[in-house]
Amino acid sequence: MKLFWFETYKILSRWRTYISFGFIALIVIMTEVVMKLSAHEILSRMMRSFQKDFLIFGNVLNGWFITAFIMNSLHIHIPFFITLVAGDIVSNEATSGTVRLLLIRPPSRSKIITAKYLTTLFYTTGLVIFLGLICISLGLLLFGNGDLIMNYTTKFHLVFIPEAEVPLRMLLAFAAAVWSMTVVASLAFLFSTLAENSIGPIIGTMAVVIVFLVVGNFPFDFFRMLSPYLFTTYMVFWQRFLDDPIPWQEIVKSAVILGLHNIGLFLIAFSVFNRKDITS
Amino acid sequence: MEAYLTKEVVLRTHGLSKKFGKRWAAKDLNLEVYRGDVFCFLGPNGAGKSTTIRMILTLLTPSAGSIEIFGMDLHKHRRAVLSRVCGIVEKADFYLYLSAYKNLEILGSMTRRVQKEEIMEALGMVGLTSRAFEKVKTFSHGMKQRLGIAQALLTKPQLIILDEPTTGLDPQGMKEVRGLIKELASERGITIFLSSHLLSEVELVATRMAVINRGELIAQGFVSDLLDKEPMEYSIQVSPLDSAVELLAKLTWVEILAAEGDKIELRVEPGHASELNRFLVSNHIEVLSFYPHRTLEDFFLKITKGTSEI
Repeated sequence: MKLFWFETYKILSRWRTYISFGFIALIVIMTEVVMKLSAHEILSRMMRSFQKDFLIFGNVLNGWFITAFIMNSLHIHIPFFITLVAGDIVSNEATSGTVRLLLIRPPSRSKIITAKYLTTLFYTTGLVIFLGLICISLGLLLFGNGDLIMNYTTKFHLVFIPEAEVPLRMLLAFAAAVWSMTVVASLAFLFSTLAENSIGPIIGTMAVVIVFLVVGNFPFDFFRMLSPYLFTTYMVFWQRFLDDPIPWQEIVKSAVILGLHNIGLFLIAFSVFNRKDITS
Repeated sequence: MEAYLTKEVVLRTHGLSKKFGKRWAAKDLNLEVYRGDVFCFLGPNGAGKSTTIRMILTLLTPSAGSIEIFGMDLHKHRRAVLSRVCGIVEKADFYLYLSAYKNLEILGSMTRRVQKEEIMEALGMVGLTSRAFEKVKTFSHGMKQRLGIAQALLTKPQLIILDEPTTGLDPQGMKEVRGLIKELASERGITIFLSSHLLSEVELVATRMAVINRGELIAQGFVSDLLDKEPMEYSIQVSPLDSAVELLAKLTWVEILAAEGDKIELRVEPGHASELNRFLVSNHIEVLSFYPHRTLEDFFLKITKGTSEI
């Protein structure tokens, strides 16, 4: 616990930790303000595809819809912000030479690496919660409350979630988003234990995420065949909480696969760190 | 300084070796450090000093051999051993974005619970009290080195391991650090294991020493024994020169190597240095300067009988 607190204190004392929070706030504010200013245009585009078949009343472009819309950006910029800290948390100790001071102390390497990993997960959770809080609070402030309408173009169906049910659904979706992002954090963390500078882990993690996303979305049979083996395929399982009915089986499967990725990546990092000769 | 020196072995290595690829960075090292020692690990750059220190501090895993500290096997009793040991490897690196105080609090608390007073006391010992709450990134190299010693002292260790502690310091800084090392050993009874590539440093601070070259142990023992084994060369500045040369030529334990201007280069048998000075003065020769010529290179050549390359 003490080691976890020290690691947390260290990351909270560095300005790079706040870059992510600052940029997320900026992106969300900019997006929501622009959406507010273009509300009429967005609404007509939204309704165009299904206004022939449905009569829709009420506040469609509400805070919940805006939040779901922004959450779709999760797999692009949030991973980058996560790697800023996760990719740096171990490698920075090597770069700055503090790893030598750290590893000659009584706590074992296992405890130190575990504390660092828990801190990485804590930061990742904090970042996604921050995104959720700022999206929802600003969204509700600017766009108000209402039922959530989700248009799943890939499945050709519309989902209506009643206003009263949306907060719980959103909570579950954000919990799933946290879970998804921990895989990115685990990957960056593993690279961080392998490297002696933080640039490599950041670029390496982003390269893997981008390549996997691209490969997973190519509309060719070969790439479709690969898709189940890419963790990025399961990262969007948060969206399933905004579906109706909630596909629990699919959610559990995705959560388990991502969890196994987390365990696997951490165990490799753990093993590498424990065997590593500190020559820097 | 030798008040605390006992025959109790604090640190012992058995056949300690480390191989990087095909190269042995340390090979079959058998070291013994006694309680109260200021033990200097001497060798040129790249000799294997840092590798050995890193193995002792668990930063490197030995390829062969074992390390025993306070009678316990280091790898079996790592936590118990390291709670009584502290060190600085190469240079003292800290979290630059944190204050000196916070650095010590974090690092010290990894060993045991440390109180604010203890942190301030450690900072006071190295003269950094007034900078306690400033970020370390504003510190000079010398200040960081002193902070390194403060962090080593904070947990009240019984063995301090310092890897070239005076490297990069100005003469005043070197003097301060050496003074601190002597004080820790003589007044607090802390065993000090330090590495150096400076023979002069060994002579100034160490009680015992081990000499390493190319990963292999060449010699080990009391500094006085090792350094005084061989004749020593001196350069003396005297007046008048001719009379001095004439007088010195009569001494059986002195060999004159050169005499020019007002300087004489000579080789003196071990243990006769002070006698030489007395002899000249009592014979009305004015001794203007008297300094030894002993470089690490000379010393290595002597103890390896010229068979070793540095």
